[in-house]
This record gives sequence, C-alpha cells and structure tokens, in this order.
Amino acid sequence: MSIDLNKDSCPNREQRAGAVNAYFGKASDLVQEARNGTLTNKERDFQQSSGCVLNFYLTTRVVTIRDAVMIVHAPVGCSSTALLYREVYRKIPASEGLPTFDLHWLTTNLDEKDVVYGGADKLRHAILEAEERYKPKAIFIMASCTSGIIGDDIEGVVSETQQEVNATIVPVHCEGIRSRIIQTAYDAFWHAVLKYLVKKDIPKQPDLVNIASMLSYTWQDRQEITRLLNRIGLRPNFIPEFATVEQFEQLGAAAVTAPICPTYTDYLSRGLEQEFGVPYFMYPSPVGIEHTDEWLRVIARHTGKEQEVEELIREERAKWLPKLEKIQHEFAAIKPDGEKVQILGSLGQGRLLTQVPYFEEIGVSSPAAIIQDFDNLVLDEVQQVIDQAGDFDVLVNTFQAAELAHITRKYDPDVALTCPFQGSAYKREKGATRIHAVRGDSREWSAQAGYKGAIAYGNFLLQSVKNKSFQKTLLDKTPDTYKAWWYEQPNPLHYLKKEAV
Amino acid sequence: MGTVSALRVKEEPKYPGIVEAPRYSCALGGAYMAALATFNTVPILHSGAGCGMSQNFGQNFAAGLNDAGPTGNTSTPCSCLVEEHAVFGGEDKLRALIRTTLELVQGELYVVISGCVPALIGDDVPAVVKEFRKDAPIVFVNTAGFLGNSYKGYEQFLDAVIDQLLEPQPVVAKRVNLLGIVPYQHIFWKGNLQVIKDLLAKVGVSANMIFTENSGLEALKSIPSAELNLVLSPWSGVAAAKKLEEKFASPYEVIPTVPVGPKDTTAFLRFIADRLDLDRDEVERVIAAEEHRAYRFSEYMAAITSMALPNAYTAIVADTSTAIGLTRYGSNELGWLPEIVILTDDPPEEYRGEIVRFLTENLASAVTPEVHFEIDSHRIRQLLNEHTVQLVLASSLEKHIATSELQAMQVSVAFPTYDRLIVDRNYAGYRGGLALMEDVAYKYGGPL
Ligand code: SF4
Repeated sequence: MSIDLNKDSCPNREQRAGAVNAYFGKASDLVQEARNGTLTNKERDFQQSSGCVLNFYLTTRVVTIRDAVMIVHAPVGCSSTALLYREVYRKIPASEGLPTFDLHWLTTNLDEKDVVYGGADKLRHAILEAEERYKPKAIFIMASCTSGIIGDDIEGVVSETQQEVNATIVPVHCEGIRSRIIQTAYDAFWHAVLKYLVKKDIPKQPDLVNIASMLSYTWQDRQEITRLLNRIGLRPNFIPEFATVEQFEQLGAAAVTAPICPTYTDYLSRGLEQEFGVPYFMYPSPVGIEHTDEWLRVIARHTGKEQEVEELIREERAKWLPKLEKIQHEFAAIKPDGEKVQILGSLGQGRLLTQVPYFEEIGVSSPAAIIQDFDNLVLDEVQQVIDQAGDFDVLVNTFQAAELAHITRKYDPDVALTCPFQGSAYKREKGATRIHAVRGDSREWSAQAGYKGAIAYGNFLLQSVKNKSFQKTLLDKTPDTYKAWWYEQPNPLHYLKKEAV
Repeated sequence: MGTVSALRVKEEPKYPGIVEAPRYSCALGGAYMAALATFNTVPILHSGAGCGMSQNFGQNFAAGLNDAGPTGNTSTPCSCLVEEHAVFGGEDKLRALIRTTLELVQGELYVVISGCVPALIGDDVPAVVKEFRKDAPIVFVNTAGFLGNSYKGYEQFLDAVIDQLLEPQPVVAKRVNLLGIVPYQHIFWKGNLQVIKDLLAKVGVSANMIFTENSGLEALKSIPSAELNLVLSPWSGVAAAKKLEEKFASPYEVIPTVPVGPKDTTAFLRFIADRLDLDRDEVERVIAAEEHRAYRFSEYMAAITSMALPNAYTAIVADTSTAIGLTRYGSNELGWLPEIVILTDDPPEEYRGEIVRFLTENLASAVTPEVHFEIDSHRIRQLLNEHTVQLVLASSLEKHIATSELQAMQVSVAFPTYDRLIVDRNYAGYRGGLALMEDVAYKYGGPL
C-alpha cells in the first residue's frame, strides 16, 4: 500500500498491515495465517489499561524534539506523562556529548465549555502563544480522543494559523480512540513528519544514515552506533528522540534509512523511499555481533563503503569475540548437561527479530515469545527467525498484565525480562530483570546495541541469575493481584472473544 | 503578626486556559489515584486505553518515582474504548469488564471511574454499575478528564464514596478521619498520614487515614463513626468534610497544613487537645518528651544549618498545604527568609485570601513572601527569575533551573518529583524538620 501524503493521516495499522494484538499459538501458524489473510483481531472481555495512540509513546517522545514545541490538544490528563520534560536526557554528562537544549510543551486544557463550544479557538491561541513564548522551529499538535469526538477542525486551524507563525506547524492525528493498535501512533507521527517537515530539493548527503531510535535504546547505544558509522566515514541522523527540527528536514537527503526497530521505522522508511528516493532496509538491527556485522554491511552497500566495513568488522570481532565467548561459557556452566538457560521477555515485534537471534548467540534460549502486536510488515523476517531458531510459541498482547503473569508462570523461565508495564510478572521464584533501559541512561551497563552493547547486555543478563531475593520476597510477602483459578487454567487468552473485530 | 503582602495584580494571561506543564493530571487521574491509595481496591477505568497507563508516569512516578501498586498502571482493568464504542456506545464493553474483573481480580472494593470518552458519548454508567451492586461492594465515580484536575478527582472519589457506600454509624469518641492529603499530588502523602496517625495515637486519639489503612473498605465504611473530621489542607478535602457534616452531622476542622517541625506540631496537638477535650497534662507530657528529643537532635544539625544556608532567601513552589508547612518551619525554626511562594494546585478563588494569610502571618522572619497562584510552568520560571534566592524548595521541574538560572540549591519536595524515591519519607511532625534538613544538607554535602 503506497503512502498518500495528501491525506491528513495514515491508515490504521489494522487496515495497512492486518495488525492484531491478541493471539496465542505457534509462530509458524501466526505467519501462515497472516500470509493467508485469515488472521483476525479479537476483543477481550477482560482488558487492562495498556496505552493508546497518543499515550504514552507519543507525548513522551515528541516532547524531546529539541527546538520544537508540543501542543497537546486535549483535557489536562492526556499530557501528564510529559511532565518529565525538563529532566529527560539531562543526566548525560557533557563529556558524552550533551548539547544545550530547553524543552517546552503546552496543553490546550480542554474543559467543560470547550467540549460544548469546540476547542479550535483555543488551539489557535495555543499556537500563537507557543510562537511568541518559545520561537520554536516547529510546533507539533497532538490530537486526542476529546478533540476527535467533539470534531475540532485541526487542519483548518493549521492552514489558517500557519501564515501567522514562523514555526512549521505539524498536526499529528493520534486520537486515542482511532485504533486498537497503538503502533498506529508511529505511522501517524511519521506521516506528519513526511508531510510537513522533510525538505524536498536539498542537496543529498551521501554519508548520512537515518536511524529512527526508539526510547528503549539508550545514549550508550547511540554512542556505539555513532562510533561504528564514523569509523567508516558515515554519520547517523537519529530521529525523532531528542533530535532537532533540522534533522527531520534532512531525512530526505540521506543515503539510506537503517532500522533499529523495523516495525517502528516502517512507515518512515517507505515514505522516504517513495517521496524522496532514499533506500531502506528492514533487517537486521544492530543487536548482537552477527547482526551488527550484517547491519553495517547493508549500510556499507548503500554508501559505497564495502571495503572499509570489512576492515572495521575484522577489527571489532577481534576485540569483542573473546568477551562473547566468556559470556557463552558462563551461561553454559549455569545448568548441568548442556541445558540452556531459558529467558522469556515481552518484546515489540521489532525486538522479536533482534532478541531471539541474540539469545542464540550468547547461548540461551526462549521458551516462547511475547510480542506487543503482530502485522504483515515483517513476515519474511519472522520466518527467517523461525528458520534459524526453530518454531516457538507466541503470545501477542499489548501490556496485558494478567496474561503476562499467566504466561510467565506457565513457562517458568530461568529469567523473566520485564518492564514497568508488566504488572506482577516480576514476582517469582526465579530470575527477573529489566528488558532494557531507556533513552538518556548513559551508563555503560545499560548498553544493548552494536558490539559494545552485545557484550554489556550479555553480562547484564548474567547478573540476573545470581540473586533472586527481591522478586522472591515480594512473591512471598505480597498477595497476588489475581485469584488462584487464573493460573490453574491453561489459556492466557482465557477472556478472548470468539468473534473477529 | 507579619505584614500581609498585597496580592500582586494578577497578570491576565493573553490566552486563558492554555498552560505549559500544569502540575497535575485530570479528574480521572485524581479519582484513580485515590482508589489506588485505598488498599484492596480495584479501580475499573471506563475510558480510552491510555488514560490509566499514562498516569503511571504522569502521577505515580511523578510523585517520587512511585509504583502504582498491585492494581495500578497496566494491572488496572480498563474498557479500552475505541471508535466503534464512541459510535455504538461502550456499555456492553463495561458490563463485560466489570463481570470479568469481579471474577478475576482480588479486591474488597471495586471503583468504576469513567473518563472523557464515555462522558462525551453519553454512556449510562450508573445503570451498568447498579447491575453489580448485589455481587460486590462497587461504587462509580462520575468524572471525565475535562471536568477538572487531579485535586478535583480526589474530591469526586470521596463524593462517590459518601453517596454510594457510607451509612450512619454510632459515633466513637476520640476517633478522627484525616482528609485533605491528596494521594500522589502531595508527594509525602503516605508518610504524612502515618506520622499524624501515630502522633494522635500518643495522645489517645484514633485516626483513620483512609489511604494505606490495611483494609480500605473498612476504613471507608467507618468514616461516619468519627467524632471529628480533620482537613489537613486549607482547601482540599473541605468539600468532603462539608458533605460529611451535612449527611452524618460530623463536625470538621481545617488545619492549613500537615505540621512540619516541633512548633507547629505542638500547636497542632494543643489544638486537638482542646477540640477533643483530652487530658491536658497527658498531652503536655507527650509534647515535652517529643520536643526534648527533637530539639536535642536539632543540635546535631546546628553546624551544617549555619554553614550551608544561614538565613537563606527561599523560594517555595508547591501545592498549598506543603507550601504553608515548609514556609512556616523555615521561617519560624530555621531562620530562613521566605522570599517567594508559588502555589501550583489552583485552589478555588474563595480560599485564596485566607491562604495568603496563612503564608504571610505569624512568621518570625522580617521577610514575608510574595505569594502567587500560578499553574503555568513557564510563568513560574519567569517569576522565580525575578527574585534572588539561595534555596528553592520545589518540584523537580525546578531542579535544573535552580542551578543554571538562579544559582540556588534545590530540593524536590512537591509534585512532580522525578529525582528521588519517596516511599515513607516525610517532613511531618516533630522529626519532620530534621528530615527536611537532612535532605537539604544532602544537596550541600561535603566536608567544610
Ligand atoms: S483527560 Fe480524558 S482522555 Fe485524557 S487521560 Fe484524562 S480521562 Fe483520559
């Protein structure tokens, strides 16, 4: 499906890519059903709060764009996650390259009157206020459930007000109710970026590599990727987290768009190719030694750096492989008789493609995969993982804490990788640790990308099998959120309805 | 008596209602936090899928890096409404959700909280909730994000409880309820409640904290049995106290702040002794023992207090009751000079004159603060920049501004606070002042 920038926004992931967020079964069956077009999404009778198209991904992400202002066109609650804005990224030491910046956001603070009389006027005022106060390069407008239901004409306000301000106004149609698949947010955001910010007719920059960085990759990861690309004479263009508006404008001038997370980058990558002729690839991502090699090689092919990259890979391998072997040995020694340590983590679709092979590399295995959403954008890549790692069970669920608690007990892995959105799944007898750190974390300990990250993350995972007292104590001493029968029945999707939506 | 500084002529914002980073969430957020703070309660959100989860960073985490507890964040049942519900209604979805929640999630009390979407599409939530009254204790908070902020949501939670759950009870002498401490918005809420409860227990008064009591349902149900309701804020919780007076004839008293340090704590205990007719000698014995220890301990911090921040010009940016407590302790016991106080909780107009008096009268310092009511973080920053201060007690939004623009030390004591973990920490009671100085001196730390 081609991207139509004449439209106000993207199609939902459901329409564009047949996305679902409820499935439990074999990975091979999931891929097959997606290929056959028989995969359908279903509602749950029991559901838990899990994020919407606006929140929390977009509000916390867009607010980090350095010389822009975010206006959340909504009642006051929809932007509360952005309260972190004056502290995010601040702990990076100057020696690690922290630039000067000052972030701002506004809420139109829609109230009882506005939902009756409309909020368009307030939005117009907010745009003027943002311009006057902060003189930003861009003003992002985030739509909400409320602005959508009351029918505010955001496009109308934008076209009227654009002449009055210097900043480029970028409306993002991220109304929470528009889609069940929160990953629609990515596409809605990229659509707006492609439509309003990326510049046509600027000189190509043959050494520039676009990388859409997730907030789940840290400052160390950027440093490592920058180091590697610089070594072969290339420069990364990290967007959207903590980028400048100019970096968005230049996206169309880059030599290639490379993935960290393909499902996240997909719409942008396609759009940049279609509208600006920037090639892209979706697989692999720079996680693990092998995949980092391959990721660099593909970039090198697009930038004429084939020779340089081979030299780089040789040098890096010589440096890091002995460290990897140490990690492999340590993992292999944990269980008797060559049995592998089992690690279960909840991942984005993109991390499924990176982490399962990485686990193979360090010599651990996954009893199953839990992924937030599944769509047909990366079927070949998932197939490739199945071919490599063998078939496995998959639970597709977006932060459904009861289901996560259930499946964690069911498979009882040696280590459960969790995050603050997985409820009580961390309370257990065996290992539990975080799946990743986030954004401004500049500690070497938290790295996951590139060669350095492969080693740091391997060592990090090893730590998790060495003491289980925290999760064990909380398991013993605090009551469970769910009643006992929940764990006694076999199906994490017990409350899934039969009919498709 | 200090002088009352005139309220500055209020700058009328050019574009009313538009705000940079106001320091609260929506009414759903406030009601939701109150439900989470009532132990063994399961909130059920009838809203979009993001309304609950996003409060984890916007409320829980923002209140001193706290988790939301066993039924908060992504553990909170939610109807996760999307477009087709906006068109065809969300009542069926809610019905299924309540039924399955009662089946699956452990709890004593279930609280249905509705957000913007059902309010805009007109779902009949009370009718759906009513179907389940026979199955479990369940109440319904009729709110929406656009109806107000977190403080409003706190009031609406109490309102719903009073209307739907409470029944008249025989009054028990020397029993009080603690109102006005708003969970998470008052970042020291847990510690503050416990300190006041323990303090009152020492003088023979049994206090119901409601929040963080072992059985939340029992705590709520016993509200009408109190002899007195104590509201520990000049305005939050007053509406609930008035309603309890109307409905159950429970009298109430408004104490403008959780007392910080020995002087205000002693005044508080004497007030309670009078009001509840306690044995005066007994109370004075408790006071003497507590004061002795508190002041003997104050000597341990004398050197650092006089070296680090002697007579510091202080800026306070906080909710009203936190600001009053800290202003008074700093001015009356530590020798600080309260230069400017900015109140961020948007108290209703009718309380503002009195609030200014609480902040400017009966201070030992020759300086009385300029008092502002301001919710816009950009204007708060501008206001601070108009003053020369050496200490900033504020939210962590002021953390970097204090050091880079004001050349002042900053300690996070108000919502939002993302730079320190606050579980049981508090500045309440006899030891509260010492705890405050411990945190201030930590920022200064180092050998002399
Ligand atoms: S303002 Fe409304 S839509 Fe936004 S979080 Fe609050 S209840 Fe949900």
